Amino acid sequence: MITDELKKVILKQLNLDEFEINDETTAPEVPGWDSLSHVNIIVAVEEHFKVKFKSMEVLKLKNVGDLQRLVDSKLSK
Amino acid sequence: MDKPNTLWNAWKRNAESEPGRDAIVHWIAGEEPFRWTFKSIFEAAKKFSSFIHNCGIKKGEVCAIIIRHNANLYPLYMGISRTGALPAILAYPNPRLHPDKFRQGLEGMAQRSGLDYILTERELEPIIRPLIEKPGSTIRNVFFPLEWDLTKPADESLDEEIESIAGSVKETDYFLVQHSSGTTGLQKPIAITHKALLEHVDICNEALKVTGQDKVVSWLPLYHDMGLIGAFHIPLASGLTSIHISPFEWILAPVLLVEAITKEKATMCYMPNFAYNFLAEKIPAEELEGIDLGSMRLLINGAEPIRSESHEKFLDQFVKYNFNPLALASVYGMAELTLALTYSEPGKPLTTLRLDRNKLSEGRVKFADENSVIRTCISCGKLIKGADARIVDVNRRELPDGFVGEISVKSVSMFEGYRNYPEKTAEVMQDGWYFTGDYGFKINDEFYVIGRKKDIIIVAGKNLYPEDIEETVNQLEGIIPGRVIAFGEEDPELGTEKVSVVAETKLESEKEKNVLRVEILKAGMSIDVNINKVYLAPPRWLIKSSAGKPSRKANKERLISGEDPLIWSR
Repeated sequence: MITDELKKVILKQLNLDEFEINDETTAPEVPGWDSLSHVNIIVAVEEHFKVKFKSMEVLKLKNVGDLQRLVDSKLSK
Repeated sequence: MDKPNTLWNAWKRNAESEPGRDAIVHWIAGEEPFRWTFKSIFEAAKKFSSFIHNCGIKKGEVCAIIIRHNANLYPLYMGISRTGALPAILAYPNPRLHPDKFRQGLEGMAQRSGLDYILTERELEPIIRPLIEKPGSTIRNVFFPLEWDLTKPADESLDEEIESIAGSVKETDYFLVQHSSGTTGLQKPIAITHKALLEHVDICNEALKVTGQDKVVSWLPLYHDMGLIGAFHIPLASGLTSIHISPFEWILAPVLLVEAITKEKATMCYMPNFAYNFLAEKIPAEELEGIDLGSMRLLINGAEPIRSESHEKFLDQFVKYNFNPLALASVYGMAELTLALTYSEPGKPLTTLRLDRNKLSEGRVKFADENSVIRTCISCGKLIKGADARIVDVNRRELPDGFVGEISVKSVSMFEGYRNYPEKTAEVMQDGWYFTGDYGFKINDEFYVIGRKKDIIIVAGKNLYPEDIEETVNQLEGIIPGRVIAFGEEDPELGTEKVSVVAETKLESEKEKNVLRVEILKAGMSIDVNINKVYLAPPRWLIKSSAGKPSRKANKERLISGEDPLIWSR
């Protein structure tokens, strides 16, 4: 399950008030989330949670659930 | 061996003279790259040509290839050419593009380009199959070449038959179809002959002082002329190695390009302007350890306006990784000319002019003084051999140096007109000159491009037509029909443009406007356009042009310049 906290970071970066985002949501389904803005979302998530992702980890993300699991794995270390 | 008269013969010559040399290095993030030598890719192409022949595809027919980054894409392309058919690489649809929009676009494109066959991945079958069954469709069949078994030994008699077809292809025959950049079905098809391409290969290599040691690296999509011609065809025909990174992987992990340069010691790369900003700012610092760009001889900026700030950002970041500032280069060209019209001189600093912005907008080139608002213009270089260009006024009369006008061109590698599109050809060609629609000027034989006649929006090197966006947004409930404009706004951080939309609506509450905004964003998504900013205006706010339609230019200026309290924006 993705947390409200992650959802808020993503929506803020995309300048959206509300949009349904769940584990299965992929970037192309969300307004404004394209390949050019993707890197900014990743940076916003890194800064908010004070974590660092490797490019290869970012490349493997398939949906928001994967992003949540990546954040969780970094925080539990 | 005589000078090859077709691309197939050029590839054959390279397979014989440089069999063990890397032809294509197919880069895959996190894996060892797949390496085709000139011999192995040629043999694989022969195998593909047998399958193509057995599919009933004939000389002169057009095969659209819609396949993602895949090592077999290159020999497939070559195999099509061996049978005398014309390959045309089209973009694989982004998941956000609505299937109906993709289908409509393909249908429109098929009618113009005369697409006979589609070679694609199984995943797209449900979308493409109905197009074949539709009455009056030009598309005859769809095939899935990635499923073909290439391990089977070749049938020698069939191979001889195909080789004789390849031998019957003349240099004046069409070799490929490429499309002018654009969205959906509005792309214009351009057929290029073997002769035009082979001449372009020699001319570009001479202009760029290419040697046998050069290696081209690219993350560009192959449906774009700079990727297809600059990074794929020119090196492959010249016997040089090219390294290909997936554009989808590169945009998520820009470090892949500098890694590939470091590991493969690449010397040349073409990129649109935004990529300079992207590379300079979006790679995590710790991933740059060990990066060495000392091999780079030419980093060629093209496909969108060149911004000096982008070059500065790039140098600030990468000189410490051994990037030679004199490797910054520029190109101006278009698919209609095969690829290039001008290149900057290799190894020399780019000529940069500080001009008076106001005078420039009046059509005159005046160097900036202490009172000027400055506009910095970077040279796109000088004409390549076999090309001619003039700056012309609205009546298509030549203007002297120092005046801004439309750039009109002629070249030995120029197309003969858009395929099956005589009315469009007539608009842009006259007396052997092609009128580019770009505005620019010339000083000391160097060309500078400063704007466009049409309101094309260029986002990260991709041309978008505002009409497409407006038509889609116009269908939304809550918008006054016909009262929508799309335009580009400069994004200095990214070094490119972003798409804005202004629409008239009767809606008044904040909540309703926010809902409408999201609907507008979604409408953009359905045609794979990311709308960055939405302006909502009350009825009759938009200024009309003399033709009675809302004027893009006037309304854009009004929106950007002033804080009108009647305007809602987000």
